[in-house]
Amino acid sequence: MTTTPAAATAVEDLAGDGTIEIARQRHTDAKKAERKLGLMLVAPAVVLMLAVTAYPILYAVWLSLNKADLRAPDDNKFIFLSNYVTVLSSPIWWTAFGVTMFLTVVGAVFELVLGMLLAIVMHRTIVGRGLVRTSALVPYAIVTVVAAFSWRFAWTADLGWLSPTGSAPLTEFWPSIWIIVLAEVWKTVPFMALLLMAGLALVPEDLLKAASMDGANAWKRFWMVTVPLIKPAILVALLFRTLDAFRVFDNIFILTSGANHTSSVSMVAYSNLIRGLNLGIGSAMSVLIFITTGIIAFLFIKLFGAAAPGSSAEGRR
Amino acid sequence: MRPETTNRKLMWWGVNLVVLLYAFVPVVWIVSLSLKNDATLNDGNYLPVAPTGQSYKAIFSNTDFLRALVNSIGICIISTTIAIVFGTMAAYAIARLDFPGKRAIVAMALLISMFPQIALVTPLFKIETAFGLFATWPGLIIPYIAFALPLAIYTLSAFFREIPWDLEKAAKMDGATPYQAFRRVITPLAMPGVFTTAILVFISCWNDFLFALSLTSTKAARTVPAAMSYFTGATTFQKPTGPIAAAAVVITIPIVIFVLIFQRRIVAGLTSGAVKG
Amino acid sequence: MVIQRRTGAPRHPSRWAVMIGVAALLTSTAACSGGQHGTVVNLYGGTSGLGFDKIIADCNQQAAGKYTIVGNLLPSDADGQRDQFVRRLAARDSGMDLLGMDVTWTAEFAKAKWIRELTGEQKALATANTLQPPIDTAMWDGKLYGVPRTTNVQLLWYRKSLVPTPPKTFDEMMSMASKLKAAGKPYEIGLTAAQYEGYVVNVNNLITAYGGTLVNKDSSAPTVDSKTVQALTLLHRLATSGLTSSSLSNAQEPEVFADLQAGRSAFSLNWPYVLSAMRTANPSLVKDLGYAPYPSVNGGPPKVTLGGMNYAISKYSTHPAEAFDAAMCLRNQRNALSAALDGGDVPALATVFELPKFKAAYPMADVMLAELRTAVPRPVSPVYQNISTIVSTTLSPPSGINPKASADRLRTGIQDAIEGKGILP
Repeated sequence: MTTTPAAATAVEDLAGDGTIEIARQRHTDAKKAERKLGLMLVAPAVVLMLAVTAYPILYAVWLSLNKADLRAPDDNKFIFLSNYVTVLSSPIWWTAFGVTMFLTVVGAVFELVLGMLLAIVMHRTIVGRGLVRTSALVPYAIVTVVAAFSWRFAWTADLGWLSPTGSAPLTEFWPSIWIIVLAEVWKTVPFMALLLMAGLALVPEDLLKAASMDGANAWKRFWMVTVPLIKPAILVALLFRTLDAFRVFDNIFILTSGANHTSSVSMVAYSNLIRGLNLGIGSAMSVLIFITTGIIAFLFIKLFGAAAPGSSAEGRR
Repeated sequence: MRPETTNRKLMWWGVNLVVLLYAFVPVVWIVSLSLKNDATLNDGNYLPVAPTGQSYKAIFSNTDFLRALVNSIGICIISTTIAIVFGTMAAYAIARLDFPGKRAIVAMALLISMFPQIALVTPLFKIETAFGLFATWPGLIIPYIAFALPLAIYTLSAFFREIPWDLEKAAKMDGATPYQAFRRVITPLAMPGVFTTAILVFISCWNDFLFALSLTSTKAARTVPAAMSYFTGATTFQKPTGPIAAAAVVITIPIVIFVLIFQRRIVAGLTSGAVKG
Repeated sequence: MVIQRRTGAPRHPSRWAVMIGVAALLTSTAACSGGQHGTVVNLYGGTSGLGFDKIIADCNQQAAGKYTIVGNLLPSDADGQRDQFVRRLAARDSGMDLLGMDVTWTAEFAKAKWIRELTGEQKALATANTLQPPIDTAMWDGKLYGVPRTTNVQLLWYRKSLVPTPPKTFDEMMSMASKLKAAGKPYEIGLTAAQYEGYVVNVNNLITAYGGTLVNKDSSAPTVDSKTVQALTLLHRLATSGLTSSSLSNAQEPEVFADLQAGRSAFSLNWPYVLSAMRTANPSLVKDLGYAPYPSVNGGPPKVTLGGMNYAISKYSTHPAEAFDAAMCLRNQRNALSAALDGGDVPALATVFELPKFKAAYPMADVMLAELRTAVPRPVSPVYQNISTIVSTTLSPPSGINPKASADRLRTGIQDAIEGKGILP
C-alpha cells in the first residue's frame, strides 16, 4: 500500500522509457538510494537509544536470573528461574497485579472518553481558543509528584478542603483506589487530548461538510468520518497511555505509599529493588512488568491493528 | 443569523468554563498552599485566610533552587531539541521510506519505552560514573533523549503517515522545486505534529524525578523536581509544604510559557490553509 | 508570503535554545574545573539544618588548612538518603568521605563493609563524654562504626488546660481521652501510624513496653511471642477506640503535629521538635503545651525507641583520618550546642545537657535524659530495612490488626527477611 516517492518515480519512468531493462536498473538504484537515506535518517536515533539502554536492559535481565543482593556481593550466584518462581508464587505480587490492572483499564477508559471530549473542545471552540488550549495542558505540565501531594493534602481528613468530616478516604482501600484514579486521570487527560487534537486537525473539513450535506448528524459524522480517520492517533495515544498506566508509581507513592494493599507492581518492584536492595527479585519483577506491557502492546497491535508505524498492512487510506 | 452566533458563543464560553475549572481547581489549591503561612497551612481552607509571600521569599533566596531552575530549563530545552531533530528524521524514514530493519527499529523503540525505568537506574549509574558523566548536564541529557525518542518516533510517524503527501507532487507539478514543495506544503502540515511532540517530550523531561535524583549528586546538574526533594523544614520532622508548593507554582510557569509558544505554532499550522489544498 | 513567515519562524527558538544550552553547559563545566586546594572532606547528610553552615565554617577555620569540609545535600526523607548512600557505596564511589548515617543503617553498612571500624584512640575519642544509648546505635557485632552525633526520643505532649496531670500509662491516657470526648472537649491521641518507619518506632515502643523484642540479640531469628501479641492488642484497641484521628493510618509527624496545632489533639506522641516548631506555628498554644515521659503499660519507666544520627567514614574515602577529625569537630560541645539551638538536633554528648543555654531552650531536657537512660535501639540487623518494611506493612492499618494472626505473619515475614528470601510488599 505504501507508495513511496522513489517507487512512484520508478513507475513513471517505466511508462516513459518503455525499456524494461533500464527501468529495472533505475528502479534498483532508486531503491538503493532510498534504503541508504532511510538508514541514515534512523541512525542517530537508533545509536543513541542503543547506547543508553542496551547494556542496562540486558544487565537487568541477567540479574533476574541470579541471586543478587547489593549488600552481600560475595553470595551472588546463578539460580536460573528461582526469582521468578518466588515472585509468581507470592500473593503480594498478585494483589499488586490486580490493583495495577484495575487502575490501568479504568483509568484508560476515563482518559479516552474525557480526552476525546477535551480534544473536541480544544479543536472546535470558537471563542478563547488559545486560553483553553493552554490551560487544558496545565494539569499535564505540573510535576506529578507535586500534583500528587496536592491531592493528598486535599483528601487528608480535617486538613484538606475535599475530605468529608469524620472520615479519612486515604485510609481505606476503595476510596484510595478511586482517588488514585482521579489523580491519574486528571493529570493525563490533557496528554490524550493533545494527541487526539493533532489527529483531529488532519480531518479534512470538506469531508465533514460533505457528510453533513448527505444528512449525517454530528454524532454520525463523528463516528463515520472522524473516528476512522484519527484511529491511528487514538491507538498511539491509548497504547502509550496504557503502557504508562501499567507502570503507575508516583501517584501511589505519594498518596498511599502502598498502604491498605494499594501497591502497584512498580511500587513492589521499587521496594525490593531500591529499598530492599534485592537486585535479583527486583529485576525479575521488572522483567515481568516488561513482559506484561509487551503483551499489552502486542494485543493492541494485533487485535486493534494499531500503531506499528512502518507496517505496510496499515498504510494510508 | 446573529442571535444564533451569540448563542453559540455563549455555549462555547460555558464549555470553556468547564475546562478551565477542571484545569485550575487543583492548581489554585497548590497556589493557595504556597501562599499560606505556617499557622494556617493546616487549616483546611481552600483559599488562604492571610496570604503571605514567605514561601516564595524562601525559595528565591535559596541559591540551590535557582541553580536547579537553570539546570531544568537548559537540560530540557537541549534534550527536547535533539530528541525532536533525531525523532523527526527517524519518523520520516519510518513513515515514508522503505529500508531493511524498519520493523526491528520500531520494535526496539517500543521495547525501550516498555522497560521499567527503575530497573535501569543502577546500571545507568554505573555507566555514567565510569564515563565521568555522573552529575553533569550530558549525564541527564543523553538518557532523557534516549527515553524520549520512542514516544517522539511513534507520535511523529503516526502524524507523518496521515499527511497527504500527494500535495507535494502536485506542488512540484505546479513548478515548485522539491525543496520549495517540502518547505511550503509539507512543513506546515507536519508542524502541528512536531510541536505537539515537542511539548510532550519537554514535559516528560521537565517532570522526570527518578533520573534527576539518581544521576546527580551536586547542584551542578540537579533539576527542580529533584531539588524539591532536598527541601527541608526547620527541623528533621517538618515537611516544607509551603516552599514545595511555591516551587511547584514557579516551575509550572516556564511550562505554561513553553506551551503558549508552541500551541500557537500548532494553531498556525492548522490554519495555514494548506489542509484544504 | 504568509505561509513563508509561519514556516520559517519556528526555526529561531530552537537555534536560540541550542545557543543558550551550550553557553550554560560551558559555564557549568568551567565552574567545576576551578576546584579547591588541599584535602576536601565531602560530608553527606545532616547538612541542611538551620545554621549548619556556621558549624562547617567554624571547623574549617579550626582545621587551618589541614582539610576543608564541603557540606553536600541529601534528599530530605530518610529513605531517599539511604537510596543515595547505598547506590554510591555499592559502586565504590570515593566521592563521599563522611556519612551522616541514620541510627538504623549501622548494621547494614557495616556488614556490607562500606564503612570503617573505629579502633584504638579514635574509638576512645568518639565515645568520650557520650551518652551510652547513642553509642549503642553506632555498634555492630561488638565493634564501633560511627561517631555518635545526635540522638532522639519521643515524648508525650499534652494540653495542660485539658489534662491536669499527665497519664503514666496508655490505659490512663485512653480513659482520660474518652472522658474529654464525652465532655465535648478536644480529646484526640496523636501518634504516627502511617505505613512507614515512624510507625515501626511506635510498634517497637509498645513491644519493648511489655518487655519484648522483634529479633534476638544477634538478629538471627525473630522473637515474636506473647509479649508481641499483648502489644498488638493494645495498639489495635487504641486504633479502634475512636480516640485517635480518623486519618490515623495516614499520619506521619507533620499530620500528628498539625492535629496538635489545630487544637484537635489533647495528647500527642512526638519528638522534642514539637516545642520549637509550635513557637512559630501556633504561639498561642505554647503556654498550654505540657510534656511528660512517653506512657508505659505498667507505670514504670518507658523503654522508648532511639532516633538520631551518627557520623560514619566511608571505606572508599581516600583521607579517612581527616574525615574523622572533621566528624569530631562537627559534634564538639560548642557545635553540638549550636546545632541543638538552631536546628533542633538533640546532642549525643552528655556534657551539652548540663549547659544553661541548652536547658533554657530545652526545658524538657531532664525528661529526655531520663528516657534516654532506659531507651532501646531498634532491631540491630543488616536487614533492618526489610524487617521494618515487613512490620509496617503487616500491621497496617492499625485498626486492621488481628493480634494473634498478625503476630504469626510478622514472625514468618521477619524470618524470611533474615534468611534473605521472600519478597517485600
